[in-house]
Amino acid sequence: VLLETLTRIRYRWVPDHVVGELLTKQWMDNAIPFAALTAIGVFAATAVPGFFDIAALPDLGRQFAEFGLIVLGASIVVVSGGIDLSVGSVYALAVLVSLIGLDVQGWSLAQAAAATILVGIVCGAINGILVGYLRLRAFLTTLVALIIYRCVYEIIFLHYGISIVGNSSDSPTLEALAAGAVFGIPISLVVTLSICAAWHVVLSRMRQGWRLIAVGGARRSAFNAGVNVRWTVCSAYIWCSVLTSLAGFMNAARLNSAGSDTGIGLEVTALTAVVLGGISLGGGRGSVPKALMGALFVLILTDVLIARAVSGPTSSLLLGIILLLAVFLDIRWLKNRHKLLHKVYVSPTYLALKTPASRVSDPLSRFALNDKLGAATAIGLGKLEGPEDVILDHSDNLYCGSRHGDIYRFFAPTYQESEVYAHIGGHPLGLAFDRDHNLIACVCGMGLYRVLPNRNVERLTDETNRTLLSIADDSAMRFADDLDIAPDGRIFFSEGTTRYDVSQWGIDGLESRGNGRVICYDPRTGKTRTVLRHLVFANGICMHLDGQSLLFAETWACRISRYWFDGPREGQIERVIDGLPGYPDNINRSSDGHYWLAIAGMRSPVLDLALRMPGFRRRMARRCAADAWMVPNLNRGFVVKFSDEGDILEVLWDRNGQKHPMITSVREHRGVLYLGGVHNNRIGAYRIPEADQNWCALDSYWKKE
Amino acid sequence: MMTRMVLTCLTIALTGGLAGGALAQQNKTEEQRSTYYDSFPGKKVVFVPMSMGFDLTELWAAQMRNQAHDLGYSFDIRDPNWSSDAGSKAITALITEKPNIVVVQNLDVQVYARLLKRANDAGIKVLQVNMMSLQQTDSYVGVDYVKLAEREAEALVERCAAPNAISHKVALIYSSPTDSGTVFHRAGWHKVLDAHPEIQIVAEQAANADPSKARGVMETILQQHADLCGVVGVWDGQDSGVGAALQQANKTGQVLMITSGGGTKEACDGIDRGLYGLYFSYDAPRIGSLLNEQIAELLQSSAGAGTTKVSYYVPLTPATKQSISSLSCWRLEQYNK
Repeated sequence: VLLETLTRIRYRWVPDHVVGELLTKQWMDNAIPFAALTAIGVFAATAVPGFFDIAALPDLGRQFAEFGLIVLGASIVVVSGGIDLSVGSVYALAVLVSLIGLDVQGWSLAQAAAATILVGIVCGAINGILVGYLRLRAFLTTLVALIIYRCVYEIIFLHYGISIVGNSSDSPTLEALAAGAVFGIPISLVVTLSICAAWHVVLSRMRQGWRLIAVGGARRSAFNAGVNVRWTVCSAYIWCSVLTSLAGFMNAARLNSAGSDTGIGLEVTALTAVVLGGISLGGGRGSVPKALMGALFVLILTDVLIARAVSGPTSSLLLGIILLLAVFLDIRWLKNRHKLLHKVYVSPTYLALKTPASRVSDPLSRFALNDKLGAATAIGLGKLEGPEDVILDHSDNLYCGSRHGDIYRFFAPTYQESEVYAHIGGHPLGLAFDRDHNLIACVCGMGLYRVLPNRNVERLTDETNRTLLSIADDSAMRFADDLDIAPDGRIFFSEGTTRYDVSQWGIDGLESRGNGRVICYDPRTGKTRTVLRHLVFANGICMHLDGQSLLFAETWACRISRYWFDGPREGQIERVIDGLPGYPDNINRSSDGHYWLAIAGMRSPVLDLALRMPGFRRRMARRCAADAWMVPNLNRGFVVKFSDEGDILEVLWDRNGQKHPMITSVREHRGVLYLGGVHNNRIGAYRIPEADQNWCALDSYWKKE
Repeated sequence: MMTRMVLTCLTIALTGGLAGGALAQQNKTEEQRSTYYDSFPGKKVVFVPMSMGFDLTELWAAQMRNQAHDLGYSFDIRDPNWSSDAGSKAITALITEKPNIVVVQNLDVQVYARLLKRANDAGIKVLQVNMMSLQQTDSYVGVDYVKLAEREAEALVERCAAPNAISHKVALIYSSPTDSGTVFHRAGWHKVLDAHPEIQIVAEQAANADPSKARGVMETILQQHADLCGVVGVWDGQDSGVGAALQQANKTGQVLMITSGGGTKEACDGIDRGLYGLYFSYDAPRIGSLLNEQIAELLQSSAGAGTTKVSYYVPLTPATKQSISSLSCWRLEQYNK
């Protein structure tokens, strides 16, 4: 007992599910690079006094301006699924051409810049045509390009080296580009940051960027989708070389020098930055902020190593090891992220269910078995798939949803003929008519929708207020389940779980955490607010006859509660039934002023015990295939009528569960009980003896005035 | 009595005065000494070589470290490992760090030029060693490469312009096209060789201070010009490759190999083995001593950075296999305390 108390306390206070939710975040990809960057920043600040000194920052900024551009270029190629090893040589060529132009030929700044960028375009186009159009291997091609461009550089450099040295120009414009600043920010950094901002927009929001990512992610799929793969790949190389040559121009302006070591080893440094930023070498994943983070990391690291007087070869060695580590982490992360997520996302918690007063097999039990629903007749047999809820209008026509996203209408009185009344999409679950004969539907996976009498479909809401401090963004609706409408028109609807989709409702049952909620949509203001949270799979919702409260079912907790949203008891919750022998689903009114409750599955003592052993269920989820998990017994049809005091008034069973297992909804209409089931292929019709043959549920809501 | 007293007083006064004078003299020396020793602790000297790991820089670093240890100022090395990018970053960082003196061995004549000026402007004294920049700073200590190159070229002319020479073909091996060794060597070589039109320059190549590259370059030249008469390089560290190629081709007798360097034991061995036909030594330990002298001077001087600009060019000692005894060949171990 003590152990169980400890378990309860531990699962009450330790939020296991947060780990999984963190892993689902897109920005988790950035978390490791960002943590690394922060760490290196802190290290730099402590290890090198004055590293982030105001006086030192512009210099760091200028270095970053050049290196950042190169890393951005390399990232574009990597995102497109390629690799460019020739950046170092292109960079050297660009520096050389800039210097020849500025110092030897005496060109203006603009002419020199244009010539330099032209060099970039030519080099990039050669790479691009070879890799993109002739489809040579990127690695080998750019490796050869690295050597060839380097040779061209050395030949020209030998020829012009002395003249460059002899004619070094000190033009004021060059000086301005080299040393100038806008509001203290170096001009070159301003240029680089603007280019990065533009590229961020391109990569994240524009056609060109999406195509790059698509080609990098899956070349064949991109081709099949009509993307011009060859040109896209080619353009990535051109952009890479252009950005690199621009960096070369900035460097030429800053240092006014080329040497035989210019650009040597730059490709490795740039690739290290790319990978460290978390841009996958496999292609298809990456962003500009990641590239910049990687560039900043490598820059700070190399500067720190130099400032700490680490010898040259040692710092190269260190950089190499970091690159290896980053590649390793990248591959492990990519490969295992979803596995890890799968493992840690399911996080069962402690739930002690109240034991039912008696077993259903006991003939004296108030839930004692019978086979009354065996007499039910089928509607739409074979036509329907997954009519979770059923509703009837004043003309006795029957409406229900299907898992294909349709709303079917079956025509009275025979219900032989049917039509698709409206197509919404998703999986329409709970249904209700409002005062104006609009059909309101909870659509799982989409939100709350309305079908007007002219069959037009309108979205009412798919977003509620986000819970403060929640990791997962719970403002979207994943699992709108059942609804009912208050006399003033407010729509209260349940969301089973915020953590799983419709096909995964079983996993939510395994967790049995309070992942569900009740949301209120007010058509008068158009506002949506969450009114109740932490419900253990909020499911059926039914307006109480007093018009000030509603009844709601929590499926995995096997209980029915009443919530006052108006009147003197506003905000209060009262337990109506606890310890049901099965898992409650939708609730609807009955003709005699009570409530029908569909029970979708039956409890079992083993499962009840497992619910008090979260560790056991976690192991089960991790080690067993999903089809070997413990699940509720769904092979029974079970309907209960209860009073608002919680008394069980009537019990209907489909004992063998062959016609109507897993009943998720019961709707009484003119003496007939209609049975829906989210996995059933039919709707059942059961004639209730002694019921009011003229009672229509809509009248109990919207009395004709 | 009176006279005795007077005498005594006089004697006392005199001896006292004399003693006082000697004391004053002693105090003054003491003051000078303490001024000297007090001017070093807490000061900071940083060395930015082309790269550590070869004879010259290791030697100078050892010499400077020894003096820093003796005098009590701090001495640091920032090793760019042949990368002008890393070197620029190092000097950029030093400008904010503000040591008292930066000793720079320039990777080329231009790359640090602006940075050295900024360092001077920031009040950091800059001492350039052996490889100079186009930007003159407080002091340069090292070789006069133009003069060295002229003497090398003259030796080349003497051999290859002679009527009995195998040919008039010579080859010039540079290191990196823009380092100061190359830039000034080239000027000196051409000044002399261009005045001798009979000399035929068959190759001018850069080996980037890399002996294996130099070896490859020389092998190619020999294949193209089997009758080469002479070859001259800018630095023994690189030109050992040239000599090796000549030895490999059995051409050491035919081709005169001229180079220069700091005069290590290895260089002497090279001369002895016939790797180098003519070797100009610029006595690296002497450069190191001069450096230390300059450092001590600059640390004591109250003059602002960059206000006076001086140079000191070390003398050159030529040596052949026959005259090798004229060199004082040194080993690094002698200087590593």
